[in-house]
Amino acid sequence: MIAYIIRRLAGAVPLLLFISVVTYAMMALAPGGPAAILGPRGALSPAVMARINALYGLDKPWFVQYFYWLKQLVLHGSLGASYVDQRPVVEKVLERLPVTIEMVGLALLLTLLIAIPIGIYAGAHRGSLFDNATSAVGFAFYGMPVFWLSIVLIDLFAVQLRWFPSSGLSSLGREDDPFDRLWHLVLPVVAIALVSFVSWMRYQRSSIIEAMSSAYIRTARSKGLTERDVLVRHALRNALLPIITLLGLSLPTLVGGAYFVEYVFSIPGVGYLTFTSIFARDYPTLMAITMLTAVLIVLGNLLADVAYAIADPRIRYG
Amino acid sequence: MRQFRRFLRERSALAGGLFIALILLAALLGPLIDPTQPDVISHPLLGLPQPPSFAHWFGTDLLGRDEFVRTLYGARVSLLVGAAAMALSFTIGVLYGAIAGFAGGFVDSLMMRFVDAMLSFPTFFLLLIISALTNHFSLSIIIVIIGLTAWPGLARLVRAEVLSLRDRDFVEAARALGASPARLVTRHLIPNALAPVVVAAAFAIGDNILAESSLSFFGLGVQPPQASWGNMLQDALTPQAEAAPWMVLVPGLAIVATVLAFSLIADGIRVALDTSIGQQGAAETLEVEPPPSVMPSAARSA
Repeated sequence: MIAYIIRRLAGAVPLLLFISVVTYAMMALAPGGPAAILGPRGALSPAVMARINALYGLDKPWFVQYFYWLKQLVLHGSLGASYVDQRPVVEKVLERLPVTIEMVGLALLLTLLIAIPIGIYAGAHRGSLFDNATSAVGFAFYGMPVFWLSIVLIDLFAVQLRWFPSSGLSSLGREDDPFDRLWHLVLPVVAIALVSFVSWMRYQRSSIIEAMSSAYIRTARSKGLTERDVLVRHALRNALLPIITLLGLSLPTLVGGAYFVEYVFSIPGVGYLTFTSIFARDYPTLMAITMLTAVLIVLGNLLADVAYAIADPRIRYG
Repeated sequence: MRQFRRFLRERSALAGGLFIALILLAALLGPLIDPTQPDVISHPLLGLPQPPSFAHWFGTDLLGRDEFVRTLYGARVSLLVGAAAMALSFTIGVLYGAIAGFAGGFVDSLMMRFVDAMLSFPTFFLLLIISALTNHFSLSIIIVIIGLTAWPGLARLVRAEVLSLRDRDFVEAARALGASPARLVTRHLIPNALAPVVVAAAFAIGDNILAESSLSFFGLGVQPPQASWGNMLQDALTPQAEAAPWMVLVPGLAIVATVLAFSLIADGIRVALDTSIGQQGAAETLEVEPPPSVMPSAARSA
């Protein structure tokens, strides 16, 4: 198992290098660099632009720039400083990270709380009214752009009913109050959970249906167990396994998966930072976010496989 | 044919299909239904959106443009982008996956490594960066950007299918008869590997529509004054629009209904193509294949 993990991690290095090269090249080759957006077109004289470009090394070919970026990373473990405020980008990303993890983590928890019981019940009663109705409702939410759902929720619960705040993370003067923070997170968390629960629910449903049609279930039934016992004591344990994989695969969303919600609700997380960095052409920050997300995708995939192997002794990796 | 009849028996899928047909018809016949042009300012009260009325079925926006007409023109954009981007990613994904699966060995693992790398990009992030960095927002650029980021998942699906078909007897027989590799791939492997991909492709149209509307919402997609459901919603976010809930509801519900319709169609196709139906038990196992939408896909990206 250890050897397997090491091999997988070693295999990830070229992958991460590839991703960094492509992202860097894409940004560097795009028209309009960081200097060009400092003012309206023509506001900066070409001489000033050239000096700004020279200051940030942007006058060099992109692969030379990339090489410097990589050297900094390998030799000093540094991802550079932001073009916007000259702060180390690692610091900028890390200070935003807890907010995003908290919000998406809560959303994931809520999603599972909705999706798993519904999925189990729908799978056990396949074709029933409940099964069809929950799928229909789920697909309807799936079709909602999450920014739109956020706007509707704000309009309804913040503007009309005034139950929840419409944006931000805390009320003035109550910055350290955890309940106030939670109260601010209700609408964004609900928005994320509503648009994503159907995927989990359908997955759980399929996995229950698969489990219920397998041989050991036939054995349990022929033993004379009640349908309830068959479901709860035999089918459920196996049917929950695939969810582990899905959980591992959704690890990256904990970091990068909430651009829209953070944008609409003005929540200062990584997603919001992504937006501001894109519009400011803040390449170092964008590189840091890309790499962080890519690392998490690799780790999430690995974690999913390992956790699955631990939970299910039938699976072995050579 | 049998599959088509089975599809028709799925009532929800049929409803989805009829809805799309209706939207498509309305989008194409737009000017015949309501001859108003989408950027005509129909009354002089700038800055005061008009509520729905007989003259303006869905009301008007901040500039007094008719929301109904703009929704129809927005449907053209959404359906075109959704279908064209899907066609692009479908073509790339099917060919790429079939070649990788057929070639096997070193070529296969190299090709699939590339797919892994593509999938390791946070896709919507990629979409956002590309669209923010290019300064052209023509429809074809948007289609290409969305299409080029959406194919790796399809490629993986086709490859898995082709791998399982590659050593089957009918392929062996074709090979023995002297079929060239190109013929084997295009005539024998791809047609038999298509079923799960078609389902994924139907879901993909919905995802592409969501992606386009998200990009346009953030000003990185279809540019005003051209109407798209996404940039209509952008207008609805301005403070002056607060008293005009129809500006939020009309384009939003258009997106929801269209994406839902494509999901229902996809689900119906999945049931209809399940060729093992009727054989005891087999249907159950196919059901297990998770809907392609199962992965928290990029366009969703909470």
